[in-house]
Amino acid sequence: MKNVLLILFCLGSLGLSFAQDYNRILILDGELHVGNGIRYASAAIGIENGKIIFVKNSLAMTIEESEWDTIVRMEGKHIYPGFVAPNSTLGITEIDAVRATRDFDEVGSFNPHIRTQIAFNVESKVISTVRTNGVLLTQTTPRGGWISGSSSVMKMDGWNWEDATVKGDDGIHLNWPQTTTGGGWWAEPAPKKGNDKYKEQKQSIYDFFEMAKAYSETNNPENFDLRLESMKKCFNGSKRVYVHADELQQLLDVIEFAQHFDLAFPVIIGGYDANLIMRQLVDAEIPVMVQRPHSLPETEGDDVDHLYKLPALLQGGGVKFCIQNAGDMEAMGARNIPFLAGTAFAYGLTMEEAISAVSLWSCEIMGVDKQYGSIERGKSATLFVSEGNALDMMSNDVVFALVDGKFMSLDNSQKELYEKYSEKYENEKE
Amino acid sequence: MTCSILNVWSQEVPQNGVKESEPTYIALKNATIYVTPEKKIPRGTILIKGNKIEGVGLMVIIPAEAVVIDCSDKIIMPAFIDLYSNVGLPEVKAAERNSRTPQLNSSKKGAYYWNEAIHPEVNASELYVSDPKAMKDLLSKGFGYALVHQQSGIARGSAAFVSLGTEDENLSHLTNTSFFSLSKGVSRQSYPSSQMGSIALLRQAFYDAEYYADNKDEINLSLEALLAQRSHHLYFNTRDKYEILRANKIANEFGLNFKYIGSGNEYEIAHLLKDQKLEIVLPLTYPKAYDVKDPYIARQIPLSDLKHWEMAPQNAAILSRNGACIALTSMGTKNDDEFWDNVRKTISNGLSEENALKALTMGPAKMIGVEKEVGSLEKGKLASFMIYDKNPFEEKSQLLESWIQGKRTILKTTPIHDVRGKYTFNVDRHKLGLEILGTPEKLKAKVSYTYRSPEGVTKDSTISAHIALDDNDINLQFIIDAEDLKGNVSLKGKVNTKLGIFEGEGLLPGGEWIKWTAVKNGKVKSSKDKKPSDQIADTLNRTWFPNMAYGFEKLPDSGAIVIRNATLWTNEEEGILKDASLTINNGKIVYVGTGSPPVPAGAKVIDAKGKHVTSGIIDEHSHIAISRGVNEGGQAISAEVSIGDVVNPDDINIYRQLSGGVTAAQLLHGSANPIGGQSALIKLKWGHSPDDMLIDNAPKFIKFALGENVKQSNWGDNNTVRFPQTRMGVEQVYYDGFLRAKAYQELWKTYRKDTTRPKPYRDLELDVLSEILRRERFISCHSYIQSEINMLMHVADSMGFRVNTFTHILEGYKVADKMAEHGVGGSTFSDWWAYKYEVKDAIPYNAKIMHDQGVVVAINSDDAEMGRRLNQEAAKAIKYGGMSQEDAWKMVTLNPAKLLHLDDRMGSLKEGKDADVVIWTHNPLSINAKVQYTIVDGEILFDEETDREKRRINQAEKARIITKMLDDSENGEETKPFFKLKRGSYHCNTIGEEMSTEENEH
Repeated sequence: MKNVLLILFCLGSLGLSFAQDYNRILILDGELHVGNGIRYASAAIGIENGKIIFVKNSLAMTIEESEWDTIVRMEGKHIYPGFVAPNSTLGITEIDAVRATRDFDEVGSFNPHIRTQIAFNVESKVISTVRTNGVLLTQTTPRGGWISGSSSVMKMDGWNWEDATVKGDDGIHLNWPQTTTGGGWWAEPAPKKGNDKYKEQKQSIYDFFEMAKAYSETNNPENFDLRLESMKKCFNGSKRVYVHADELQQLLDVIEFAQHFDLAFPVIIGGYDANLIMRQLVDAEIPVMVQRPHSLPETEGDDVDHLYKLPALLQGGGVKFCIQNAGDMEAMGARNIPFLAGTAFAYGLTMEEAISAVSLWSCEIMGVDKQYGSIERGKSATLFVSEGNALDMMSNDVVFALVDGKFMSLDNSQKELYEKYSEKYENEKE
Repeated sequence: MTCSILNVWSQEVPQNGVKESEPTYIALKNATIYVTPEKKIPRGTILIKGNKIEGVGLMVIIPAEAVVIDCSDKIIMPAFIDLYSNVGLPEVKAAERNSRTPQLNSSKKGAYYWNEAIHPEVNASELYVSDPKAMKDLLSKGFGYALVHQQSGIARGSAAFVSLGTEDENLSHLTNTSFFSLSKGVSRQSYPSSQMGSIALLRQAFYDAEYYADNKDEINLSLEALLAQRSHHLYFNTRDKYEILRANKIANEFGLNFKYIGSGNEYEIAHLLKDQKLEIVLPLTYPKAYDVKDPYIARQIPLSDLKHWEMAPQNAAILSRNGACIALTSMGTKNDDEFWDNVRKTISNGLSEENALKALTMGPAKMIGVEKEVGSLEKGKLASFMIYDKNPFEEKSQLLESWIQGKRTILKTTPIHDVRGKYTFNVDRHKLGLEILGTPEKLKAKVSYTYRSPEGVTKDSTISAHIALDDNDINLQFIIDAEDLKGNVSLKGKVNTKLGIFEGEGLLPGGEWIKWTAVKNGKVKSSKDKKPSDQIADTLNRTWFPNMAYGFEKLPDSGAIVIRNATLWTNEEEGILKDASLTINNGKIVYVGTGSPPVPAGAKVIDAKGKHVTSGIIDEHSHIAISRGVNEGGQAISAEVSIGDVVNPDDINIYRQLSGGVTAAQLLHGSANPIGGQSALIKLKWGHSPDDMLIDNAPKFIKFALGENVKQSNWGDNNTVRFPQTRMGVEQVYYDGFLRAKAYQELWKTYRKDTTRPKPYRDLELDVLSEILRRERFISCHSYIQSEINMLMHVADSMGFRVNTFTHILEGYKVADKMAEHGVGGSTFSDWWAYKYEVKDAIPYNAKIMHDQGVVVAINSDDAEMGRRLNQEAAKAIKYGGMSQEDAWKMVTLNPAKLLHLDDRMGSLKEGKDADVVIWTHNPLSINAKVQYTIVDGEILFDEETDREKRRINQAEKARIITKMLDDSENGEETKPFFKLKRGSYHCNTIGEEMSTEENEH
């Protein structure tokens, strides 16, 4: 058996990439949060060729050490499936104020053919600070227009975007028209008011979808259309339709829209008012990626903790949901996703539910749960170990992380600077 | 300051032709006369001679030569006076400008003030040109006089008092009245860009005028005018209730006395205005009801808007009850109907008829010192009054005649009779039905008759008819198709409204003249007959503090509180005490310990078993609770402005942050310029006044800023003209500013030694810079990268002061040793980075490294959302760098108190300190921690249970008002669509007066 802890130390301090020469890994004795609601007080996880081959109670099994390339003993620590950052520009933006690094908003209103996958920067300095908190997967999502483009589910480790892809073009992103509008721009604003063009804008979306649907039913269209081509899969169920909508009227209209086009996998992103129509959402089988819990309430009279408790409300109403963090500084803020789940736990979810809300449920909604999202037999070994409760800032301390069974570097530019300057002050003391 | 209108108005003007004779005496008899608001004469007489009232009363001797006019059943009221008008003044337009770069200098050429928002030299009487249409509009609302001024700018200029009864401009009159505001109007000059900037600019202008009085080596027409205006009636136009308090401070500073043009929400702070001898002109525009039929839309309307809709009509009554002298202005009312509807609404909402009349006549007359001439109908005053058919304060009535200075204008010879109803009438043996519909001004008619065919079959027919009523003459014309009457019937007749009869002659299709009569036998119901404004309104004062969701119905007291069995995070040597108690009395902590606590009489005892108790969180860097602009970015140095001038207690984020355990904050100026404005150190006293929120005798602070925001890196290509545009320029701004301040100090030092010398000028900006040099004001400097951080420390060292705090300080870890040596603290974000180029080296270990090097470190928010979760942000220092729990906790409590020099009163649980205490459900650093109680100065301003109750009350209150709105709109009240304001908040980089929804502005 090789001493993994030494390897981890090297990973942490030197940040070296190296070829991993062991395929059979056994993680022993940690508290396992499977991701599906089940918890093992002390687990044994067997991994071979990047896949999980078993998950057992470690207290009730005997170990043949020689069968394993490495055994990692994690007593007293917590094991989690890799957390997910859905609906994020992480990887396609680097520094918000520098235009050259903003790669998420293409010109045009209906851009389903625009694909984030190929712009995903595996070397993003931001990504390396996110995965060190246990967030290992992201849904790289475009912005702007009515249809922003197609997102892809990506791993936060790889040599290039091809490597990093979990699921390319998993769905298109539709920004539902606002029921209120106006507002000018921020330095010279006018009040918002009811959107007079709401019906018209909604119609333009219906029109586009009608056209796309008709196109999808013809095998050999005379006029090949890149945009409509990329919509085809939305109608046969292999591509999701993510609709960004928050307000009650919008949500009801989205449900109607999904039914009108008989969409196989509609998803609502945002869902600020979703707690008001839980029955309809359950009946229509539409899941919700809820608005970042750490956001201010919409109006002065709204419950101060509305978004803190929205996940628990949806859970109580039987609505399928997961947590996302789109908004101000979403890329760098993706590292706080564990704490968004933590807040949802403090405001009503159980601990295991809160974990599912940033792991398995996210993967189910994006359609990658066969491989990712929980620590179960047959799935990819994409997981991390934390010294303590990963959902609490005080104790989230990632010891190591695996992506597809490979130990991921936990180094990042921030740790480097930390060490560099700590050393400077150490030396000055001497 | 009394002036005489008569002296000016009696001038002889050369006539074209011979002088026409006018009757010497005119007597109006038998009218109900409102001589003064208090004195009403039924069936009295007014005797007029020339333009003046010769006598008024029940028994007036009418000279034989008098022309006598009978005014039986009519009402005579003094002509109203509108103090807030722009009738006859040209529209104010912004100066033409082609460039999109900022306009740094005034566009007004000439010997005027350097800032074009200060234009006291504008004189309305020079600009006034009579505008018959606008005059008639005001006249039709009952006004005979208006005080007009050009409604733009901060020092707006002087007003003219004009008579609406003449088109002769020479009869306008200067009344020694000038206007001010806190809005720069059409000026495009980049300074000021915020309300605090407007305040500073106006103060500076007053100081400049004082200096100018003794130093007139150069002519300045603006200062000349401003000097003269110090003895005027000064009116201050406001856009919000708090602007009254703000302007009042300026008035006190310069020994002035402002009267106000109100905005309509003053009732919300009536308790604060009570002792002010307030003289105020109030608008008669009230918010329209929202269209609330769609419940989805209705639920998005903020409760504050609903509450204001309900309470606004009580504004005048509440202020009047609280001792204010009020006048009413018609400004903003669309037409006479709306004006009178709202006058009656004001009365039904509690203002007595007498006070309403006063507010339109004697009130305004006294407020500008013309009460000897106008405002009532007493002997000797100008004969300026209106004749109505009914009492307009009680019901919809018509203005029949206006008499302005004895000049009669007949507006309606007789009132329009409401002839609507059902009639039967006979035309040539045929009995017909007539129904008159429509509005009294625009009638519609239908004629019905029974058709009998030759075969004897009968059929009822209704046809529409043309109808016109002119005074008492009625015309009715229709085409009939009856058995022996076919064709056009034209009838003309007179109305006898008392009997409800029409009678006259008419022409039949056959050319035959006949007599006809119609007799009324029914009234038409109109939805407009019953207006909510005519009903007795609910005049309960339902104002909350503040008047919005989660407001208090009654302000909380600071009672005694004993907290038992708690885990106390003392932040003192004792560390964390288990099973301990804490007693609060008179707003202070009086006991902390594990023994038996004193229990003052009447104390609320809270069993906090299993709970954690800490001192309140202090946010070193916050931008909540600020009115109209967080940045005065118009200039590179704006030390003269102060956030303390614009604290806004109505920000819901105060309540939200209380729910996160925050009890105090430094409200910082933004980071748009190297030297920003002065800070406000506040307690989060929800429901209290701006002054209550400001911490008493707080140390003085000012915001500095470095880096990208200051050099406008991310402001687009137009913003490349304001100095500085590089970090190099920033350094020179500081040297220049402080060298100027030193020279300025020298001037004053020399003067103080020998006060017989000429007094130097007063410069508000250099005053503040001098305070920094004297170490009387502390700097909190927005900073990112190490080069600029070190630069500022060098500037400080060479100028002999110390930088107190670097805020943001995201590269503080690189220079922590130098910071410790300089003695500067750091207030940083827990983990923000990557939002601008200058934060690419920011690391979450920053706090830890600075702390280890001996820097006093705080974690701040700079964000209204994160401000609610500073406990979580502090906990991140445990994750990143492994700080101890107690040290981490101090970074949001004791350390910011130290940085703000408030640690003698706040920041720890210690006897004698302010009772700013939070009870948490769990360890406050854990993700589970929720606030159970937030206590500020001994007042429980947030608690979990009351919060739940308030949520319920919010909903109930909303439902109650929405029901009322629905009732009103069914009764014919107009509604408006819902307008939703953007959700936004100020960040460091927000420019302009409005809140931002932009990203990445830190």
